[in-house]
Amino acid sequence: MGNRWSSLKEKTAPYVLLSPFLFGFVIFFSYAFIRSLYFSFTDYDLFSLPNWVGITNYINLFKEHLFTRALRNSLTFTIIVTTLQTIFALLLAVVMNQKIRGIKYFRTAYYMPSVTSSIVITLIFMWMFQRKGVINYLLTLLHQYGLTIGVFLALLAGIQFLLVFKEKLRGRPVEYLEPSYIILSIILASIITYVFKDFGIIKPIEAKAVDIFWLNTREKVPFWAGPFAFPRPLGAIMILNIWTTVPTFMILYLAGLQGIPKVLYEAAEVDGAKGWQKFWYITVPQLKDITFLVVTLGLIGTLQMFDQVKIIGTQAPLESTITLAYYVYQSAFPGASAPKVGMASAAAIILAVLTLTVVLIQKVFSGEGRGLRN
Amino acid sequence: MKIQQNYTSDINLKIKRRRWMNVGAIYLILLLFSVLFMGPFLFGALSSLKDNPSSWPPTLKTEQLSPKNWLGAYTLARQGGGCGFFGELKSGHEVSFQITYKYPMGIEIVPPQVIVPKRFKGTGRAALELDREFVADFVKIKPIEEINRVSNKDGVLISYKITIVNISQKDFNELPLDLLIPYKVDFLSATLSPNRIERLGRIQSWNNLVSGVIPYIFHNHFRVFNENYSRTTGKRLFMTWIYNSFFITIVKVITTLIFASMAGYALARLKFYGRNYLFILILFSMMIPGQVTFISNYLVLRDGIFGLTKLFGGGSLLNTFTGLIISGLVGASAVFIMKQFFEGLPKEMEESARIDGASTYQIFSKIMLPLAKPALGALTILTFQGVWNEFFWPLVIITSPMDKFTLTIGLLSFKETYASGAFDWGPILAGAIISALPIIILFIVFQRYFVEGVSFSGIKG
Repeated sequence: MGNRWSSLKEKTAPYVLLSPFLFGFVIFFSYAFIRSLYFSFTDYDLFSLPNWVGITNYINLFKEHLFTRALRNSLTFTIIVTTLQTIFALLLAVVMNQKIRGIKYFRTAYYMPSVTSSIVITLIFMWMFQRKGVINYLLTLLHQYGLTIGVFLALLAGIQFLLVFKEKLRGRPVEYLEPSYIILSIILASIITYVFKDFGIIKPIEAKAVDIFWLNTREKVPFWAGPFAFPRPLGAIMILNIWTTVPTFMILYLAGLQGIPKVLYEAAEVDGAKGWQKFWYITVPQLKDITFLVVTLGLIGTLQMFDQVKIIGTQAPLESTITLAYYVYQSAFPGASAPKVGMASAAAIILAVLTLTVVLIQKVFSGEGRGLRN
Repeated sequence: MKIQQNYTSDINLKIKRRRWMNVGAIYLILLLFSVLFMGPFLFGALSSLKDNPSSWPPTLKTEQLSPKNWLGAYTLARQGGGCGFFGELKSGHEVSFQITYKYPMGIEIVPPQVIVPKRFKGTGRAALELDREFVADFVKIKPIEEINRVSNKDGVLISYKITIVNISQKDFNELPLDLLIPYKVDFLSATLSPNRIERLGRIQSWNNLVSGVIPYIFHNHFRVFNENYSRTTGKRLFMTWIYNSFFITIVKVITTLIFASMAGYALARLKFYGRNYLFILILFSMMIPGQVTFISNYLVLRDGIFGLTKLFGGGSLLNTFTGLIISGLVGASAVFIMKQFFEGLPKEMEESARIDGASTYQIFSKIMLPLAKPALGALTILTFQGVWNEFFWPLVIITSPMDKFTLTIGLLSFKETYASGAFDWGPILAGAIISALPIIILFIVFQRYFVEGVSFSGIKG
């Protein structure tokens, strides 16, 4: 009797252990997903019973201006943000991958934007993106001191080149971006720029304050991109989104960098590889798996961008910030008019299919890349 | 020989110097990046102390951080009968105040006009919701005294002493003040710098002379706590939101830890029908945005989980913490992390325990859970962060009353509370900074787990 009881206990153990998770998973994911799929073929409005309407919702969606706008915004946002954040995260990780004192504190500082909530960061950015805000002020400074900065950078490049060239003439192996020379060049260039400024050879331009509407505008940027231009408020959200996600992905890359065998670099050095060659031919291919992960997580995250749009709300025209995720929310809870749950569900299903497709495409691409390299 | 030696030491020195320079360059770059990543926070935090965070041009100079003003706020609060760090204007107390003006040549010397204004606190909805007595009706302004006069070639510098007495039997916690001077007279300095200077310098305005040092420095932060209260229960809203967020976060962290390790262990080590399908389904669910499932989940909660709550005498789960918690007991990604962790553990201990006759439950609780401490640490931090920062789902199911809000949703409501025409950015920034503090402190203390958690959930995937 005891044996049978304990064997029954053993047999049911997996299900018992899984049951709390399955309770939520079945009700709040599986059932919800299937129900969304069903709603997308009906004219449900939260109050009356749903009627089957076939694929009408899907057809109507593509006729609706706001939806196509949202789809376009989402795709632009995803492509630009995922690309830039992956590149920045990799570069930042390479910079951070140093064994020097205090690196931990820098890591803490860098990771800060990633741990705070979207509402906090979006509010702070909305404050910075005001007409009379920090961003416009920094741009004003850049405008006023553009010449000074330009002279400084030109001097920096010139001095650096001369210093390195001198060393090269002596036959010493020096790279063009040798850090110790950069420091020397920065010091020299600053002194010369300061002297120029002091003698009045270069002056700050008397320019008006930069007055860019970052949020409350229908303008599109960049102006030369024609049909590929996106609304400027969306650009502001891109900046803020890249800023918040780069640190997370940097951590992933850092872990990956520490796993690259040193032997590879040593062998490359023996073969005479330069810094950027080592980066391009060793670091990048070795981090391929991490890159796949970073891009996948980035795609999933950016396609469901919602918080920033909701938080910015009426501060920007809806058309210039709306994304698919926000379109779904707004159709289901429109506030004043009747909820269009059918349309919302159809849009949600499109969002899900889009996410899966994009992830699959990127998987196929990275798989192909592997084949070519071998 | 000697020359040779000299040469090597010279080279050594050069290499050493270059190494140091390299380290310096790296630090410089790292520092630049920290400004980029920390800058918005730090500048936002600094500006949240200011009277007007949107002043142009933006500057680092903050009156609230000048020791001279701290001293001024301290003395004034002491005169009012407070302890100095926190202030009051007690019955019968007298507050005196010094201010210096410069009267340019040829301007008639007229002392400033002293007004104790009747002012509503806050802007927008916050102002409408406060009805109270005005301190102006209970104080007497003593005749203004001239205490010092210095003439020089561009004008006359005059210091005045202004004294205000509380002649009532009541204690107040504030004393606003406006000083009106003729056009072209320059305000130079005062015991406490004015909060605003208006009408081309004609009016210097103070919000509260007797605030005390701490409310003076953090005056926007105090506003966040004091100006938001519930219209139905009268409770202070911001404190309630903090409490709500902590409550929900802690409960969800606990349920996540327990249920994720249970499910993770089952998925990693136990054999049961449909294990692989379930795992694929979990991966699939991690890719599906919350916007796909929220309509159905909203309806499920509205109907009380298919009417089940009616059995326990409850109704709809919308606008309840139960609803918020029960719909997110454990996330698929938490289960995924635990599964990956358990799979990485060696099997020997488990097998020998099984030979000794231990049951699955015993193995799980006595052997596997203690081994899972590092993963549980990382999961705690990740879940805490995730729930604390959660925005979309609370936004959908908690719409009213305002004292059910979590911090994130509460902060969103600040956009209406503090908007009348333009935003009153002071309290909005202050609220944002306060609500980020717990997570930042947690992050600094448990940094290691954060980083581990991220690399863990990522790498092994």
